[in-house]
Amino acid sequence: MATGTRIGRSRFTLIFLLLSSATLLTLDAREFEPLQRTEETISDLISPLRTGADRVFEPVGDAWAGITGYDELESENEALRAELQKLEGQQILDSDAAIRLESLLDELGLPYVQDIPNVVAEVVTANVGNFDRYSVQINRGSEDGIRTGMPVVTRGGLIGRIDGDPGRGHSRVTLLTDPGFEVGVLAVGTDDVALASGGGHGEPLMVTKGLEIDTEVDVGHEVVTSGVDRSRYPPGIPIGTVTHIDYDEARLLQLLTVEPSANTDNLSFVTVLLYDPLADES
Amino acid sequence: MNTANAYLRSALFLLTALVLHMALFSDLRVLGVAPEVPLAIAITAGLVGGPERGAVAGFVIGLGIDLYLPTLFGLSALIYTVWGYTVGLIEERIFRSAWWINVLVTAAATAGGLLVYALLGELLGAANLYTDRLYVVMGVAAAYNLVLSLPLLGLWRWSWPRLLGEER
Repeated sequence: MATGTRIGRSRFTLIFLLLSSATLLTLDAREFEPLQRTEETISDLISPLRTGADRVFEPVGDAWAGITGYDELESENEALRAELQKLEGQQILDSDAAIRLESLLDELGLPYVQDIPNVVAEVVTANVGNFDRYSVQINRGSEDGIRTGMPVVTRGGLIGRIDGDPGRGHSRVTLLTDPGFEVGVLAVGTDDVALASGGGHGEPLMVTKGLEIDTEVDVGHEVVTSGVDRSRYPPGIPIGTVTHIDYDEARLLQLLTVEPSANTDNLSFVTVLLYDPLADES
Repeated sequence: MNTANAYLRSALFLLTALVLHMALFSDLRVLGVAPEVPLAIAITAGLVGGPERGAVAGFVIGLGIDLYLPTLFGLSALIYTVWGYTVGLIEERIFRSAWWINVLVTAAATAGGLLVYALLGELLGAANLYTDRLYVVMGVAAAYNLVLSLPLLGLWRWSWPRLLGEER
């Protein structure tokens, strides 16, 4: 009899929890504000514990990354040494990449990114789960002026955008490697605005829409954000370099492979550009 | 008093597990895959405490991890609830199991749980869940949780000692 009661109670509990989960899923899908505020509050309450634990366990994580990624680090070091030698040899020709880019942007009359108010944030946790390879958490949020959709950059260029509702002291960045990430771009020196999308982890970006066949683009061309009207991104943020050019079946459009200029692995600090064109408009 | 004590221990265990998962375990990646500690928590709760406690533990830890995932809020809670309950039911009805069976069940249920998570997530509109990489994630996470299952089973027995005794 007692067993029967227990089974009945556990079924009731299961149904109650399933209904609760389904309700939360529905409310979240509809962006129900009180739920989002509750999520933020709970997340903010856990945040100090998490930050403390992050600091304590950081050396363990670093050691683990050193052990499991040793081969990768070794080849990366080798590549960096080769790159350094090349740069030293061509110092006069190459000058500073940033200066070169700035002069290119000046030529185009594009405003320099550093004029936009920004917030420097620390990456507190990379991926928490196994299915979120394309996002990182940062330690700045709504109280720093961060809003959803704002561009996130490093010295190398665009790395992603703020996604979801930022908490008071933290927010989530979706990286530009996410296959669902899209950004309006143009090749420096051209006028055609095209759409670039993420190619997946460790893969280049793909420009598959908008670049007509007669637009003059070469391998090695720099690609920047277009900043067209109502774009989420200001113009002139470096995206990457064209490494391959192909054509669509009808040979009407060029399909570009773009190697991102910013590294999205092992991020420590990022800059959030407090750029919200729609807010300016309103 | 014993019941209150057990709930307090369970809450402490779940909170610690959540924080440790985010601060430590999510960095311990092999082939880019981290242990699925929250899922292992739900499964082992079902194995030790039965279907009801498995469901509740799965729901609570699922909600906790949902706060930090880009997928829909409530998705992990839904799947971990079902998984905690199902594993608890299977253990109660079929196995009444030896420790090594519990360990193997944790690994197998981890792989199964991840597959269901990916399929249901895609069905609900989440992107990048059901990919070629899913099977690598399932394999590595199952192996990880196989190792983690013994300490987790022990910790659940620590959380519910009197309650389990009373039920027997």
